[in-house]
Amino acid sequence: MADSKKQVFTIGIPRAFYYYTHPGLWEAFFQNLGFKTLLSEKSGEKILRNAVPHTESEHCLAHKLFDGHLLSLLGKADAVFIPRLLSLTKKHICCAKFAALPEAAQCGIARGTPVITVDIDENKEPLLKTLIRLGKNLGKPARLAKNAAENAIQTMHEEWKKQQAAMTAEKPFLLLGHPYTLHDAFIGEPVKQKLKRMGHAFETPVFTHEKLPESVTRWCTFGRMHRLITEMPLEKYAGAIQISTFNCGPDSVMLEFYRAVCRSRGIPYLVLMIDEHTGNAGMETRLEAFADSIQWKRV
Amino acid sequence: MEARMSEKLAIPNLGNYTIALDSAVRAMGIEPWSSTETSAYAMELGLRAAPDSLCLPFKAHLGHFIEADNAGCGHALMVNSVGSCRLTYYRGLIEKILKEMGRKIHVWGLGFDGIKPPVIRYFDPDMISFVKAILLAVEKIKVIDTLEIAAWKTRPLEMNRGDTSHLLKRSLRELAETNVKKEVRKLHSEFAKAFQNIPQDTSQKPLRIGLVGEVSVLRDKTLNHHIEECLGHLGAEVRNFFLLGAELGNIFGISVGGTKTHTRKYLAKTAKPWLNHPVGGHALDSVAHTLLCAEKGFDAMVHLAPAGCMPEVSVRPILSAISKEKNIPVLELSFDEHTSALGTLTRVEAFMDILKTRRRKGLV
Repeated sequence: MADSKKQVFTIGIPRAFYYYTHPGLWEAFFQNLGFKTLLSEKSGEKILRNAVPHTESEHCLAHKLFDGHLLSLLGKADAVFIPRLLSLTKKHICCAKFAALPEAAQCGIARGTPVITVDIDENKEPLLKTLIRLGKNLGKPARLAKNAAENAIQTMHEEWKKQQAAMTAEKPFLLLGHPYTLHDAFIGEPVKQKLKRMGHAFETPVFTHEKLPESVTRWCTFGRMHRLITEMPLEKYAGAIQISTFNCGPDSVMLEFYRAVCRSRGIPYLVLMIDEHTGNAGMETRLEAFADSIQWKRV
Repeated sequence: MEARMSEKLAIPNLGNYTIALDSAVRAMGIEPWSSTETSAYAMELGLRAAPDSLCLPFKAHLGHFIEADNAGCGHALMVNSVGSCRLTYYRGLIEKILKEMGRKIHVWGLGFDGIKPPVIRYFDPDMISFVKAILLAVEKIKVIDTLEIAAWKTRPLEMNRGDTSHLLKRSLRELAETNVKKEVRKLHSEFAKAFQNIPQDTSQKPLRIGLVGEVSVLRDKTLNHHIEECLGHLGAEVRNFFLLGAELGNIFGISVGGTKTHTRKYLAKTAKPWLNHPVGGHALDSVAHTLLCAEKGFDAMVHLAPAGCMPEVSVRPILSAISKEKNIPVLELSFDEHTSALGTLTRVEAFMDILKTRRRKGLV
């Protein structure tokens, strides 16, 4: 891995995965430490096209996009930041694929570029401590690292508050998915755009890291989604739209459980599978049909 | 209680190790139902009932249990896990799908939740026969490991193609029918001798190939299209890195047969420069064994994974980097319901050609 003592000036952050699970955190943290940060562009066809020849063909779409973002940073940043997400919430875990992320990138796409990494495992230590450790490993004084970490976590909480405040619409559709698919410009954005054009309101859940009660799953994002659909007031929402990416491992299992919950509660539930060949026509037609059928149900 | 014992219990598919589990269940007085490889019929049933995007082992398992239900089994066993891979949820999902299909079969988890998993509590065999059954199974696992290792060694050297596979099959059948521990022990030494008696061309120096990857495709011959046999007949001495004896040794720290060589800790230490954290499943083992094999002078590795396998696919870039740096070719094979036996064979043949040329030109 990277020689953490070396003075690194620009740290590249791919606009994928952990950029969305910790909104605003990484930029704020590294800038507070005195580094420059470079964020990759928003996802798009170009990012994906560049990634496809290099990425593993059996990865999920979100992972392919991550590889694309990583590629776009190479040569522009002195180092790239790839943490190992193991757990965001106590007693819960993240997708297994994240456990190999730093090494797989170092061996594959990011070969030759220093990789800054840290294990994020809420089951072992809280985020604040992890960040302070990372700051110290990067050669910064403990005091500065602590300030930077506290400040950055504050920024993340404000970001969440902003997301929460944006949800005021009436009779919205609940969009379900991962933070890194819902907010991604290539995966979630076209769905949101289409809903807007059709004049439908929608809500995206805010995936904070606060404690979660035990549920059917140990995956934290899925635990939150499960709680949402089991507890959501039926009269408040028009229905649930699940945005899933092709070849997502956890999705393939959990969506079956969600479907059962939605069926038993009478929640209209649509699964949109987004893949790398997405021409939007298919997705748009399905959304229109879903919205139509809900309207008919109401009449 | 008597009624319970007369119920049929379906055994999960663990390749040849099914034989050991089968006889353990029988020794407890429960009637087992099992097969050492997923049948084509079970595969078809599983494909029809399973969600599309799940991995091949899930579909095979589901089909196996539907077939068991058809055969009149009231109960089934399934290996559980508490890891980070989606296998954790497979039992629940299979149970849900079977229920929706209106099937009556109950799937029990054979997991790591205590010495007495719920299934044992349900069937409640008396302690003596339970312990005896476990000991018998362990004895059989030892024999199966010996048989497998002997077959891998003799297959590339045999003068008459098929001798080894034939003997292996016959021995396994004989083992399945023997249910006294003492006689199993006797068979153990007889089998070892029988493999030595196969006419062999010992002047050859076969290529050595390690098989790593996900357990189901490593062990289920239907899923991997008999890859051990393919490689053996093409002249390779295979070493499959899932031996149950060794695996039990790794998990419980006990020695089962002569195969306890790599503890979890040791594998993690070996893999460390390349992979600093377990990924779930046997992905870390794949990395560690590839490194160990490169050191031991193996000619190549074959990495088997079901298509879309979360842990194994994640470590592919790492294996490919190891391959380049340690100069050990790694063949990546993915298996799903569309993978054909012939396609696999063609790829394996091409790989073997390359390896043979490599050796002939002295590039190793």
